[in-house]
Amino acid sequence: MSANENKKLMESIFARVAAGDRAAYVDCLADDVTMRVTGQYSWSRTFKGKAALVRELYGYLHTLLADGRRTIPLRFIADDDHVVVEARGNMETKAGVRYDNEYCLIYRLKDGKIVEIREYCDSALTEAVLGKFPEPAKAEN
Amino acid sequence: MSSAENKKLMQEIFAGLANRNGTLLIECMSEDFRWINIGTNKWSGTFDGKEAVLRDLLAPLRGKLIERSRTVAHRFIADDDYVVVEARGDNVTKAGRQYNNEYCFVFRLSDGKIRQVKEYSDTALIDTVLGDPKEMPAAG
Repeated sequence: MSANENKKLMESIFARVAAGDRAAYVDCLADDVTMRVTGQYSWSRTFKGKAALVRELYGYLHTLLADGRRTIPLRFIADDDHVVVEARGNMETKAGVRYDNEYCLIYRLKDGKIVEIREYCDSALTEAVLGKFPEPAKAEN
Repeated sequence: MSSAENKKLMQEIFAGLANRNGTLLIECMSEDFRWINIGTNKWSGTFDGKEAVLRDLLAPLRGKLIERSRTVAHRFIADDDYVVVEARGDNVTKAGRQYNNEYCFVFRLSDGKIRQVKEYSDTALIDTVLGDPKEMPAAG
């Protein structure tokens, strides 16, 4: 797919998730997707495979955050098989604390599926609001 | 300029930065250049104008490091006026600590000049290793 088609796909995924269809995102993850949380903080690691990503990262976030969490895209930048999405979180923890992180998400796509993700965000905010990532679930980085 | 020309310019700029040479970066900043650091630490916020970027951001950073900063880019993603650069720092502070942050820079260019950059990086690492830009380590 072209850069423009990849961009349109990511725009459509974010729009559908915003409309409440979270499966639109999960359906576009390749089975062997890898997601790396960049940096050197407690959340920094690579989640290997869709099952591990959904269970270990999104499953854990689901235990911390109130329902209705949103990631609002601000800009899409596409080149070849990469789409960069700058985004703003609009979330609240179950304890009622605001969690509005700033994200730069780098997606690599192949044949209409997301095969690689790198996340850059305000790691100090992540640890201040969500705490450290639990060690027992730690995957190899 | 086309996105391919913008990408080529950023590749030339980062070829310099990999060798601790920021001359071309500084040359290519427009006078109204704006640098935005994400987060809420003491380096976070918006630095408005080339002069403020050099004086309030890059000079204090240089003051923290034993030599000029080295930043090694590993990916360039260009689309229209934007070039995204993923990079790693390779630096040591005057306090003797490794400062190897991971960066995602979102540059906006026009007419061969850089108008804005938004820097995404590991803000927790900045807090831990760089601390306060106003505190200068003792010489030596």
